[in-house]
Amino acid sequence: MKPYDNTGWLFVLPAIMVLGVVGLIPLMTVVNYSFFEIFILESRFWIGAEWYVEIITSSRFWGSFARSALFSMLILTIQIPLGIAIALCMPQRKFWVGIALAFIALPLLVPWNMIPALWLSLLDPARSLIGDLLPALGWPADWKSSVGHTWAVIVVMDVWHWTSLIVILCYSALTTIPASHYQAAAIDAAGPWQVFRHIQLPKLRHVLLMAVLLRFMDSFMIYTEAFPINAGGPDLATLFLAVDLGEEIKAFNYGPSAARSVLYFLIIVTVAWMFTKAQNKLDAHPDRPAP
Amino acid sequence: MTVSPHAIKAFKSAVLLGFVAFACLPLVQMTMISFIATLPTDQTEVGAFTLHNYATIMTDPNLRSAFVNSIAYVAINIAITLPVALPAAYAFSRMSFVGDKHLFLAFIAFRITPPVVLTLPVFQLFSALGIVNSVFGIALAHCLFNLPISIWILQSFISAVPREMDETAFLDGYSRSGFIRRILIPQIAPGIAVTAFFCFMFSWVEVVFARILTTTNGKPISMAINALFGFRTDIGLVMAVTVASMIPGAVLVFVMRNHLSRGFKIGRI
Repeated sequence: MKPYDNTGWLFVLPAIMVLGVVGLIPLMTVVNYSFFEIFILESRFWIGAEWYVEIITSSRFWGSFARSALFSMLILTIQIPLGIAIALCMPQRKFWVGIALAFIALPLLVPWNMIPALWLSLLDPARSLIGDLLPALGWPADWKSSVGHTWAVIVVMDVWHWTSLIVILCYSALTTIPASHYQAAAIDAAGPWQVFRHIQLPKLRHVLLMAVLLRFMDSFMIYTEAFPINAGGPDLATLFLAVDLGEEIKAFNYGPSAARSVLYFLIIVTVAWMFTKAQNKLDAHPDRPAP
Repeated sequence: MTVSPHAIKAFKSAVLLGFVAFACLPLVQMTMISFIATLPTDQTEVGAFTLHNYATIMTDPNLRSAFVNSIAYVAINIAITLPVALPAAYAFSRMSFVGDKHLFLAFIAFRITPPVVLTLPVFQLFSALGIVNSVFGIALAHCLFNLPISIWILQSFISAVPREMDETAFLDGYSRSGFIRRILIPQIAPGIAVTAFFCFMFSWVEVVFARILTTTNGKPISMAINALFGFRTDIGLVMAVTVASMIPGAVLVFVMRNHLSRGFKIGRI
């Protein structure tokens, strides 16, 4: 057990102060604005919860909520297993691990506003490396008018962008498994699946929980990358939660965008709370003795 | 199961190579376009091989200052994040105090708050503080997501250091801060490097705060790229700037590759 010591607060105080300035104060400002009708910031009228009622009774909000939820589910079901699989496929030799990691990390280093531009140029028949391949695969030239194809582009783009992070996190957790565990498994004649299920997966649990949290929230609130692909279209089919909020902010609708921000923050806190619950549960019932 | 180990190994290599190819495909295309003249000029015709795009990066003062700005704000961000995160990570790792679980929940909540939710008030607050259009403003704003993640990564490294080391040091007469400075920090140096790398990675490519906090001055690379899009976009130049923007990160990854693979376990608080 960790000793009980309230001087811990002194140690976290600097972090609390920094996050207070960049997080808490702006958040309180947003909460304040969300109850006002604001034309210019100097003149505003108290209107109570009117914006909130308007948002949660609008079908547009629930539409984008459902789209974001579906998108996150797709992203998690593709990225998490793929990330684990790639981490398991890493080579044994240290030299090759370094090379592979360096290449795999590259998508994480592209400025986010260039990611849609890269994928749009890859889908541009005149310029693309795979321009001749696309029609052969049945990819239509007017994919922007098709809901399914636009979704496919955004999902593949996000898989490309973020699976690398899961690979890096999982691989670094896998390397903490002592060789003796594998030797014991070999003596017991355990197959690859049993090794994965009983040796590798337990080691991955904590890091996977974190990966799921980060990937869930970042894809649920996808903004920068999603909008330029097809401007939320066709027919609002890729209008996600954060994209909708971004449009509201661009239009300087202070009140409604603030109310929307507060609603999103409530979703975020709920998810973070579920995450810490899950974490405590993992700690309370370890499959095997703690490492 | 009677699959030979060689077959498994070959299969694994094939999967890995496939993924690396997928990861590199858009980047290869980007690099190729960056060497092609995409707007007609006096010397070259469209479609010809050219180094002109890269020469422009060197000569254009806007692009040059964008690189300086990006490096500056990431460096400032890391300089703020690490000293603030380290004691907090130590406290979460070694002590239990009133409300520590709730505080951790609050930190997590701020990490997963998308910047777009806080753009407007952050802009107003930073205007009032006089740090818009400067690299310092972006550096501070990026603490919103970098600080929680740094605390998280650092505390997993600190938790890996046996507690007996603290106790021996205290018996030897070290104070807590002396212990952190002289014994703990050298012990977790690779962890600090990994944390700094993650700060770099999340901060270098972020665009939402970078956009709202730099309207006239202090534009980082991502915003300089945005400014290149216009009526007649020189896509070759855009791609060249993007390639150049990835070079510092690629160098860092290569330097850090063994630390990243050496095994760090991000666990519970």
